[in-house]
This record gives sequence, structure tokens and C-alpha cells, in this order.
Amino acid sequence: MTNLAVTDLHKGFGSQPVLTGVDLEVPAGSLTAILGPSGSGKTTLLRVVVGFERVDRGEVRIGGKVVDDGDRYVSPEDRSIGYVPQEGALFPHLTVGRNVAFGLAKSVRRSGVVGDLLELVGLRGWGSRYPHQLSGGQQQRVALARALAINPSLVLLDEPFSSLDASLRANVRADVQAVLRRSGTTALLVTHDQDEALSWADHVAVISEGRIGQFDTPHALYSHPKDAGVARFLGEANLMPGTVGADGVRTELGVLVLETWSTVPASGRVTVMVRPEQLELSTEADGAPLAGVVREYQYFGHDAVVKVQPDAGPADARLVVRINGGTPFVPGTRVGVRARGPVLAWGPADPLPEPA
Amino acid sequence: MTTTLETPPSPPPQSAMTPAKPSGSTRAPRGLVFLAGAVAVLLLVPLAFLVLEAVQYGWGAVVPKLFRQLTLSLLWNTISLSVVVTALCAVIGTLAAWCVERTDLPGRRIWAVLVVIPVGIPDFAVAFGWKSVFESVGGFGGAVLVMTFAVYPLVYLPVAASLRNADPGQEEVARSLGVGRYRTFWRVTVGQSRLAVMGGCVLVCLVVFAEYGAFEILGYRTFTTEIFSEFNTGFDTAAACALSLVLVLLSVAVLAGEAATRGRGGVSRIGPMAARLVRPQPLGRAKVPVLGAFVVLVALALGVPLGAIVYWLFAGTSSTLPPASVASAAWHTAFYAAAAGVLSTVLALPVALLSVRHPSWRAMTLERSTYLVLAMPGLVIALAFTYFSERYASGFLYQSAYLLIAAYAIMFFPLALVAVRSSVARAPASFEEIGRSLGRGRLAVLWSVTLPLVAPGLAAAFCLVFLEAVTELTATLVLIPTGAQTLSTQFWVFQTNGSYGQAAPYAALMILIAAVPSYVLGRWFDRLPSRATVPK
Repeated sequence: MTNLAVTDLHKGFGSQPVLTGVDLEVPAGSLTAILGPSGSGKTTLLRVVVGFERVDRGEVRIGGKVVDDGDRYVSPEDRSIGYVPQEGALFPHLTVGRNVAFGLAKSVRRSGVVGDLLELVGLRGWGSRYPHQLSGGQQQRVALARALAINPSLVLLDEPFSSLDASLRANVRADVQAVLRRSGTTALLVTHDQDEALSWADHVAVISEGRIGQFDTPHALYSHPKDAGVARFLGEANLMPGTVGADGVRTELGVLVLETWSTVPASGRVTVMVRPEQLELSTEADGAPLAGVVREYQYFGHDAVVKVQPDAGPADARLVVRINGGTPFVPGTRVGVRARGPVLAWGPADPLPEPA
Repeated sequence: MTTTLETPPSPPPQSAMTPAKPSGSTRAPRGLVFLAGAVAVLLLVPLAFLVLEAVQYGWGAVVPKLFRQLTLSLLWNTISLSVVVTALCAVIGTLAAWCVERTDLPGRRIWAVLVVIPVGIPDFAVAFGWKSVFESVGGFGGAVLVMTFAVYPLVYLPVAASLRNADPGQEEVARSLGVGRYRTFWRVTVGQSRLAVMGGCVLVCLVVFAEYGAFEILGYRTFTTEIFSEFNTGFDTAAACALSLVLVLLSVAVLAGEAATRGRGGVSRIGPMAARLVRPQPLGRAKVPVLGAFVVLVALALGVPLGAIVYWLFAGTSSTLPPASVASAAWHTAFYAAAAGVLSTVLALPVALLSVRHPSWRAMTLERSTYLVLAMPGLVIALAFTYFSERYASGFLYQSAYLLIAAYAIMFFPLALVAVRSSVARAPASFEEIGRSLGRGRLAVLWSVTLPLVAPGLAAAFCLVFLEAVTELTATLVLIPTGAQTLSTQFWVFQTNGSYGQAAPYAALMILIAAVPSYVLGRWFDRLPSRATVPK
């Protein structure tokens, strides 16, 4: 069953096109993230779905019902969509309890529903406070309770965690995810943070230049991005030219095994992606297929990133290697680099994108 | 969930290739457009009456009234006075604001209060104060003296506000770019306040054009005093009408001139900037003379009128005054002013909502058109209403409370609009969007979200209009309901008879009543910069 279906959606402001043919299907009860850089049109997509903006062309269906196709239009108050904006936007003149009760019918307000909703977000007993007496994380949780109060068919979250401190963000994110799972609500989260999208959602839609580039599970998206652009956007990737032969793909890292789902011709030139964690370093340039010099070493505690300049190649070429934090590599050290496991490659026409 | 499918009015069935139509959300609800349009029309009604009246008399009757020696001398009187008063106010207001906001003048906080208070004293009460103490004050010199000290706060207030909000970083950047201290003052500081000075000067000019009471007391003839006496004594309505049109044209010229020099941008800054503490400029050896100047300014602007009123309060024969009359006049004054405050605020809301929430060139034009009211002196609005009720309503509404309240509400509409508009602009639209996503319709959201959020602005609008209406004299004299008296008309009766002692209590009470909303307004404007729109 599909809860939200967007078909061939076009939307522009003045002469500036923002969305140019978005197709998206969000399964009922799932958590979906829309991931894209700023200016990619992800917030506009959200505002069209909730009804604050009208489509120019295309169709939006919620629960199978058309809510906007450029002709027919259901106003926001009749769509039953919970909306959580960036700063929560709690009504400053109402208490927490009355904020949560805002969308409820008067008869329902006294039935303890508000208390239950506050319980759900872990804020029972806070109903008589005012928004300014709450921390940022608490405000976001109240905003979620307010959105859930109307028993929505869909909850939309517009970068709701970006205004929170980094230390608070992960916790609030997990809380919100747990609440949404418990209530079984379909939710759509807009974000530019790939860690957030990958860790939070069941499905991720990558949006760029007004279209959905790829829609998949986080795991599938990371391990088999459909092109180099998506691969670059989802974490660091070493992209290099390769030649397909009978035994695999020949690259500067030697002959590597191809992933079975790589879409490449039987022979010829391709683009190969090697994730940093697929590479390993040895201290001496002995039997390794590639030798180089360490140029940068960034230590993160749980792991470290080493940037290596290959001997054979231009001076500004870098291979990014993610290693366990154990051994420090001083810049200038000579190392050998070797790749583990099968790698992904795309077929001949794909030019190497500029590093992000 | 109840789902209603609206069919938008205009779009024909579109083929897949038709270009995109304009964004839906910026389309204003038709009810709001209709209301705002109705308000704009209502505000321009007096002007329409005036033109209609002139047309009825025909050129043959109006032209001879215009082209005569009297018109020329009135024109000279009005323009020369407003030029001199405006220039003096610009100098006094700007220098006083700079000294209070940017120098180490001792007692800056007290001076900041004292130099503003004269704005709350009606100009005719200031004239009364001077005339009742110094019998010889009068003519051009007297008019310049009284008007300058009565209205210079109209320049002081906006300039002080702009200096407070101006980014001191700009001055620091200028200094770092090698521009010296004095050139920095001229090029940056004065530049920052230029729009504020001009805005204040326009207000001063319009006030001088519209003033009646003060000039009547001082025996100085301007367009407004002449219109009033044509109307009052001779009932020469054709002449009053012709002169009114000239006065309106003068005011329009001033407003247009300001708009033209302001340039296309028009906005001096985008939002209130975080004001940092600026290191005050040391006055050095000028400290004592500057302090002396402030003492003189406050003594002349505040001491003379208040002193005179207090003097007559005790020296006069207030025992002969029937006390019930004061109470009744105070009641009528407060009632009319409060009703006008409510009406103006209610009228301002749809115009503010339309122009802030659904900006388009049509909404802007509509909003701007309401500022034309500024060019209509109260007397002209009152006369237009009088003609209307006599000619088209067979005197039905003439000298009824409705007409007086409507005249106040229209006269002071621009003040209400400024206050309501700024508070609507500060309440983010996202609150309204959330309200609608939670299942409440437009009207329910207006009631439960928008109105509570803009309530401080509505209160400020009410107070501004109330304050002005309490001290209004000219339109009130024309439109006062039969049998009723307000504080200002009763004051006028006694003052005209030379019963200064009996006039004084009315002036004192008027200033006291006006002081309450002034205090509320002061609190509101103080809170403006610190109010966060979105709580963190």
C-alpha cells in the first residue's frame, strides 16, 4: 500500500523552476528521508505535499486520494498531514498542552489525549509550561506531539534536527524515530545530512536539481549508488578509471573483482568506485599493488582517515583511506595501498565527477 | 478526515505542455482582497467628496476664489512658515538626537524622556501657554517659535531610533578604511539617519499645513485658518472647497517629493540589527554649553506650556466652573477616541495582512494609496464629510457621533497601519501554516493564531489613534455632535473667551489622558528590538 504518491511533479517560482518532474512513492508506515543539498528543492517538495504551495503540473496523492493535480486542490487543513518545521514553531502564546491540543476537536481535548501524547514524547506533566521555558530538543518533541495529535495520515519533518546542538541531535532523532515507529505513522523527513538520512529512514530518496536521483533503502543506496554523482553525495568515494577484462576490472589498485550488479559492458573503459573503508594500508611499499606517500592524517578516535598521494599520478591526486585508529601515519610516510572485496563500476559514458 | 475538493476559479483544462501558472500560495484569499479594497476606497471617500463638491460648483465659481490676492498671501504664509519650522526642527531634532544617543552628555536618560514629552502636548495648548503668559507673542515669529518647540520631537524620535539601531560596525569599518572621524560622521552616521530626518521633516511639514488652533490663537493666517473661517463665518463653501484642494495638492507635493528623493529602494535597513554598545563621543569643552542648550530647550518646549497651564489652574477662577462639565467632556473625549482607535485598528488589519502576507504590486499599490490620507488635513476631511451629509444625506449624519468617529478613524488610519503592519511582519507566516496543517480553516487560524500574535501591535495601533484623537481640535470643532463637548472643544470655548483659568483644567486633563497611551506605547516600542519572533 502506498500512502504518498507524487507523480511528475513540476513546481517553479516565477521563471525559476525548482522541481522538474519528481516521482516518489512512500509506502504506508515507513520512514522515508529526502536527502539533497540546499537549493535542490526538497523543502519545496514538502510544502507542495502539505498544501502550502500548489503544483504547477503533476499530481500528489495521499492514501490514494488526489490532493493536488493543478486543477483539484485540497487545502492544508483538510489533508490531515502533521507538519514539523525546522524550529518547531510552537505557538508562543499557548502552553505546551494547548499547543498539542490545537488541532483537536474541543470534545476530544479533555479526554486525556493530550496527556497521552505528551507521554508518548516523554514530556508528561509539562503541559502547563510555555514554549520559551523548554529546551530546543523538548520543543521539537512537543512539535511532534502536536503534529501526531490530529492522527495524521502522514507526518512531514522539515530539517527538524538541524537547529539542535550536535550533542542533542542524535538523541532527539532517535526519540522521534521511536515515537513514529510506535505510532506506526508514515513519515517523510527532509534533510541535507547524509548520516541523518541513512541512520533514520527505511528508505532514502536522493534529490538533486529538482528530480529524485535514486530511491532505495539506506544500505542499497550506499552500497550500490546508481551513478557516480549519487555515490559522491553519500559519503566519500574514490573514483578511478578502469578497464574491464575477463578476470575483473584493471585499475591503479590492480585487478579488482566487480560487484555482480555493476552495470558495465563486457570489456572497455569504466568508472570504478572504491569506498575508503575498502582500502587498507601497509607500512612498507612491498607487495601492494599501489605505492604512495601519506599527505594527510585525520584522527577521529574510533577511526582515522589517511590521504595518500599515489606515486604514479598527478601531484594533487589523493586516495582516501579509512583505517582503524590504532596506528598513526605521519605525513611523508611511504605506504602500500590494497583494496578488499568486490568494487562497483559504471559503464563507459560516465565521466568522472569533480570531487565534492 | 473530511476532504473537500475546491475547484479554483480561473484555470482552463491544461494540456501537459502549458507553461506553469503562478504559484498558488501567494494568491490572496478573495475575502481579504475585498476587505482591503473596501478599506482603501473608504479612506479615499473624503477626497472624492471634495473633488465632487468642486465639480458641482463648476470652474466658474471655484476659479475666481483661487486666483485672488488672498490665495497668494495665504500660500506665502503657509509655505514660508512650514519651510522655516521644518528647517529649525530638522536641526534641533537631529542635534538633540545625536547628543542623547552618541555623546557622553550627562543625564542622557533623563534628557531622552524630557525632550520627547512635548509631542504629547497639543499644539494649540502650547500656543495657549505662550500667548497667555507673553501677550505679545504672535504673527510669523510667534508661529515659528510655538510650532518649532511643539513639533521638533517628530524629527527627534525617528532620528534617535535610527541612531540606536544603526550598525556601529559601519562607522568602525569607515574608520578602518582610512576615513577620518568628522568625514565618517557626515558620510556614514548622517547617511544612516538621512531617511529618518527626511521622514520627520515630512511629518513636521504636514502638521504645519493642517494646524488650526495654534495659528488662530497667535493670529497667523494660513490656508487652514482661512478654510475654517470661510466655513464657519461665511459659509462660503465654494471658497473653502477650492482652498482645501490647494492644501491637499501642497501636501501631496511634499509626500511625492519625499518619495522621489527616497529613491526606489525605500528601505533603510532590512531588519532590526543587534545594537551594540557604542562608545560615546566625548563632548569635551562643549559639554557645558550643550548642557545649557538642553536646559533652554526643555524650558521653552516643556516648561512654558506646562507652567502656564499649571499657573492658570491655580490662579484662575476655577471655582465658577461646573465640575460636571469636565467629567462629561472627559467622557465624550475618551469615548470618541476609543471608538476611533478600535475602528482604525480594525480597518488597518486587512490592509496589513494583505500587504505583508500576499505581497504583489496590486497589494502594494493598495497599501500605498491609503497613505494619501496623510495629505488630507483633519479639517478637510471634516468639511468633506459635512458637505456629504448636507448634500446627499439631507443632514442625516451631520454632527452625529458616527461621523466624528469615522473622521478620526480615517485621519489617523496611517498611524494604525504602521503599528499593525510591523507586528504582522514580525509574526512568522509559518505559525499560520502550521495552524492550517492541523486542520483549522483560514478564519479559525486568524482568530486563534494570528490575532494573539499581533495583539501587541493592535494595542499599539489603538493607543496611537486614541492619543491623537484625544488631542484633536480642528475636525472636532466642525463635527462635534450637537449638545456634546469634548475636552478640546470646551477648552477652545473658554480660551476664545479669554477665560484662561477655566480653560486650563481641560488642557491639563487632555494631557493627562493622552499620557497613559503614550506610556504604553513607549513600553511597546522599547520591547520591539528584543522580541524574538521564533522562541529558541
